[in-house]
Amino acid sequence: MNQSIKDYWYPVGLLSAIDAPHQTLLLGADITVGRKGGTFWVKDAAGNALPTIERFGHLWTCPGTPNGDLFTIPEADNPGRQLVDVGSVRVKCSPLRAVENFLDIAHFPFVHTDILGAEPHTEVERYNVNIREDANEVWATKVKFFQPQAAKSAEGGITTEYMYRVASPTCAVLYKTCPPRPGEWDVITLFVQPLNEEWCEVWPWMALYDDDSTMAEMVSFQQLIFMQDRSILENQIPAKLPLDPGMEAPTQADLTSVVYRRWLKKIGYFYGAQLVAA
Amino acid sequence: MDWIAVGLCADVPARTVVPRRVLNTDLAIWCSTAGDFHAWGDRCPHRGMRLSHGFVRGETLSCIYHGWTYDGDGACVSIPAHPDLVPPKSICAAQYACQVADEAIWVALQPTQAPVPVLGARRAIRSMDVALPAQTVAAKLKQPFAPVIALGGVHDISLALQPSSDADCLLHAFAAPDQDRKTVSHALEHMRNELEAAA
Repeated sequence: MNQSIKDYWYPVGLLSAIDAPHQTLLLGADITVGRKGGTFWVKDAAGNALPTIERFGHLWTCPGTPNGDLFTIPEADNPGRQLVDVGSVRVKCSPLRAVENFLDIAHFPFVHTDILGAEPHTEVERYNVNIREDANEVWATKVKFFQPQAAKSAEGGITTEYMYRVASPTCAVLYKTCPPRPGEWDVITLFVQPLNEEWCEVWPWMALYDDDSTMAEMVSFQQLIFMQDRSILENQIPAKLPLDPGMEAPTQADLTSVVYRRWLKKIGYFYGAQLVAA
Repeated sequence: MDWIAVGLCADVPARTVVPRRVLNTDLAIWCSTAGDFHAWGDRCPHRGMRLSHGFVRGETLSCIYHGWTYDGDGACVSIPAHPDLVPPKSICAAQYACQVADEAIWVALQPTQAPVPVLGARRAIRSMDVALPAQTVAAKLKQPFAPVIALGGVHDISLALQPSSDADCLLHAFAAPDQDRKTVSHALEHMRNELEAAA
């Protein structure tokens, strides 16, 4: 395994749900997650304590030597937001396929029919994608799409604007037009814990302006969306994300995916990736 | 084996698509609104999604992931994210030869001049999966390993063998037209239980 892959921070559980020690997998290796009083801990299979960070409602760990602090999401700290611990969705797919699907809007009318998209509103207009070298992140901006019901708080169809940010190889943040507060962005994240190269635990988390929906409604809404995505993610061939061109046929609408794959190649993150074109 | 049966026509009605595996190759078998059958590789060239999860409209099959639509020749004819784009001819689904004969759907993974096997004056009864390789099933029935084996007996049963993977197969069963469908079906299940028990 490329050493650098072990040096990233990965989510391993919801702070609000960690209690008795439980075993899970990270990058194919057994780890144990638990808490003693108010202190959360993670141990590897040999019993060594791994570094931890408590952030965005989740416990994070790093099985190698952390190559810096975990990224931040300053917008999520704004007062008045509802912080939604969605909980985990376990998916039999590459962690990188899970992130790539999260960055994709063209599937909304077909996979999230009548919720995040609907025919005939299928067109994806040109948007911008770049690699921000300073932060080593991928950003897609000026992404627009027509949505029948963009959020639990949305009444009827609206054209929603998005920004996507890949903050680490298995974590992405979506900034989305906020129906009750024009000018502000809702924050929806996808934190992926790679159990192994073809199996992952997906931890969505949200920081929303929504005074009307209950926490249970917001969690249900997001779980419905991810269960729909799961039916796609468990049926892609090959299971690993192909990084070399030739196996798949991207179009302009797939620009975020193209740049994400290019970035993974650039930084040498190949866990869950397929390098040789078949 | 040039032609391999992959299902009974009755199990793939118009406007449906089903997954089938032949010799470890994943296929999407679909029937158009007009009743034409197709056997394609079970993979959309766009993002690798299984086409067997897709949907049939008219004479086309669409991928469920992004709605990319393919005509009867496997050529991509529509990319919904870009409604005005004429898809490049290079984007097409992998196609296999597919024929209908004796109420069954037959597929050839390699180009072939051979005729489709004949089942004679029998009618289709059902498809049945067996947790054994097709070769093992033929051997246990003391028959040569061939696309169709004739068992005869009181029901005059013939089996079309579909080797799915190295570990299992699908049998498509046919019997004399005067035989009771339910009785033959039960006899087949009994046969399967004995085959698997003796493994």
